[in-house]
Amino acid sequence: MAAEPWLNPVTRLRVIILVTILVIWEAVAASGILLREVVPSIVVIGRSLAELLFHPDLKWPVDIGIGGLRFAQQLWVPAFYWHLYVTVMEVATALVIGGSAGLAVGLALGANPFLSKAFERYLYYLGPTPKIVFFPVMIMWFGVGPESKIAMGTLSCFFPIVLSVAAGMRQIEGVLIRVGRSFRLNTWQMVTKIYLPAMREPIVNGVRLGMGVAMIGTLLAETKLSNKGVGFMIIDAYNTFDMPRMYAVLLTLFVVAIGANALVGRASRG
Amino acid sequence: MTARALMKRPAVPFVFGVACLLALIALIEVLIRAGLINPFIVPKPTEILWSFERIILEEHVLPRFLLTCGEALMATLMLSMTGISLGVLLHRSRIVRLATETWVAALASAPLVLMYPLFLVIFGRSAWTIIMIAFVAALPPVILKTLEGLSGTRAVLINVGRSFKLTPSQLYWKILFPSALPTIFVGVRLGMIFALINIVGVEFLINFGGLGQLVNELAERYDLPGTYAAICFVILVSVMFFMGTERIERWLRPGT
Amino acid sequence: MPAAEPILVVENIVKRFETQDGVLLAVDDVSFNVMPGEFVSVIGPSGCGKSTLFNVMGGLLDGYDGRVTVGGDTVRGPHASVGMIFQEESTFPWRTVVDNVAFPLEIAGMPKAERIERARHFVDLVGLDGFERRYPAELSGGMRQRVSMARTLASEPKILLMDEPFAALDEQTRLLLGDKVLQIQQDLKQTTLLITHNLTEAVQLSDRILVMTYRPGKIKRIVEIKLPRPRTSEIVSSDDFGRYVAQIWADLREEASKGLKDDESRVARDGGRRA
Repeated sequence: MAAEPWLNPVTRLRVIILVTILVIWEAVAASGILLREVVPSIVVIGRSLAELLFHPDLKWPVDIGIGGLRFAQQLWVPAFYWHLYVTVMEVATALVIGGSAGLAVGLALGANPFLSKAFERYLYYLGPTPKIVFFPVMIMWFGVGPESKIAMGTLSCFFPIVLSVAAGMRQIEGVLIRVGRSFRLNTWQMVTKIYLPAMREPIVNGVRLGMGVAMIGTLLAETKLSNKGVGFMIIDAYNTFDMPRMYAVLLTLFVVAIGANALVGRASRG
Repeated sequence: MTARALMKRPAVPFVFGVACLLALIALIEVLIRAGLINPFIVPKPTEILWSFERIILEEHVLPRFLLTCGEALMATLMLSMTGISLGVLLHRSRIVRLATETWVAALASAPLVLMYPLFLVIFGRSAWTIIMIAFVAALPPVILKTLEGLSGTRAVLINVGRSFKLTPSQLYWKILFPSALPTIFVGVRLGMIFALINIVGVEFLINFGGLGQLVNELAERYDLPGTYAAICFVILVSVMFFMGTERIERWLRPGT
Repeated sequence: MPAAEPILVVENIVKRFETQDGVLLAVDDVSFNVMPGEFVSVIGPSGCGKSTLFNVMGGLLDGYDGRVTVGGDTVRGPHASVGMIFQEESTFPWRTVVDNVAFPLEIAGMPKAERIERARHFVDLVGLDGFERRYPAELSGGMRQRVSMARTLASEPKILLMDEPFAALDEQTRLLLGDKVLQIQQDLKQTTLLITHNLTEAVQLSDRILVMTYRPGKIKRIVEIKLPRPRTSEIVSSDDFGRYVAQIWADLREEASKGLKDDESRVARDGGRRA
């Protein structure tokens, strides 16, 4: 048997690709072919990233305590976490509102062919429209605060969720429904014991897609008009021309988004 | 005819849907006129309708529409060429696929369009910023769909090819590629729709270019009916895009 | 039948597979010949290695002991004289019926007009005239399987290998397609080797039937079917037909029940988590 290689070939290739990219990046940064600001040295980006994640520069008024015992009223934290918290809460609220509306409407459309034929085409057409153009309207309706961002997120995630729930419901094997009916289940039992379990995968998939677009809707709205949230941090870095900081925020944002997506994806496998 | 039989006629749900839509619009009109909805938040639907003519004539909708379409086509062209080539590369080289497929899938779930300020620095406020961000943000799904299509070719079709002694390149062009084509087009279509969404979005955000900018400008002028009308126009365009590409997709799956 | 050289010779084939439970002996020392114009069936229960044998003869599988020769050539990879019809749906969904059938002619470099002309002939032969311009998605399962058959016949193979081509079809369709096969066999004097698990199908079509054992797959018995030709599906009601079926079932029954027991013990051992 051949000696175990130091790294398996796949890992080795990954390392090679990553190292190549970093070396090219650093070479471009050092040569100055492109603007130094556009391609800053990795060291500079790293320093920015460390500052972003570990340099406490904001007093966060949080009330930490159990019962009558107070540990702290305020915490010194890096401002990033507070902005991240704002964005996460916006996206989560949007997902709850848009998701429950999507689930309810999706179940109705999936169960009723008449409603589906009457209305589903409009949802189907509105699904792939750019939601961000509704932002001026949302500002008029909900103001410039987090509410209008939540509205953008809700509007974005409603469509993929409603469409995958409706389609998922129609894909349930007819025999499962006949089994449920043969046991004389009532409507509620049919929904909770047959439909929802049988639709686990399309629902999770819809939530996953919905979360992705809710994030995009919320963050883009933040870049357009806001004074807090991760989207604001990105556009703020642009306005102050602090490119290393922008890279740091974007990298962290992508890691969070990819992680959240993977978490939801895991739910479908149970 | 009984009510039940009437419900079964295919045109009935469609008419019902349209009727509900019209009724909703009429209701809004009535509520605004009755003063129950603030007309400075929601303009009267009739007002929006009248402003259509105005924005078409005064706001250069046609050139804007063509600009947005041109950007979308350019991005789609770049997407198809790059995305399909990378998908083929990943399919042909097992090790490259093992090393990078999860990366591509991860990128597909990252909000890449948020990089637009970065592209703004690189390309300035130009059409290239818009095209490039649309291209980058929509690339991962095209790669993944190409890969899915190629590796989804049923084993028996490949065996048919082998039984007729096809050369590897014949096997690729006569079996793998045609079998994967519908799925690849699903990817291209997805990419195209993504690209259009991002193009209009970034036009709106950076206030430059086609239809997206129109919405932004009208909103900044507090031209309420105009803004609503421009939004309707954007919806109309994306619905057209969507239906057109859907037709091509159906044509690629003959007989179904 | 005049004494002639066998066209297909299978010698001492042994094929093992590595599985997670160890080495599985799928085919154990199988040898037989097929003469030109002959119709031979290989019958056995699921898991007797019939499909493995098919893949070996077709040159789709290697890493076995023994030798397969076609007209004197040792098979290494798919052989030009061998045509294959697969169990699974294998028409190309992106080609019309006639373009599907013309496929091997296209690969052979035949000009377009000529190959369409040839392909039409084979479409007629399987009784699909009038459907030339349809796509597979518009056809029934039985029609699609006939398209596959016409496509393989269009390459004019010296020997036709079929792997349970009618397994996915219902019994009536199967009998009627059997008639089609008998008629084509008659017209083309097509040498054919059919892999099947269906008793009536094997007796209806064959000159000779090789009965295989369950795991490892060996040849248990060779039965000559001396029913008169030309035949049609009406033969299934004759007494001789019944006797052949009963005789082969007696052999097969033991093997099939071994297979059933094996499945049960595997499920019991794995706790029923895996199939």
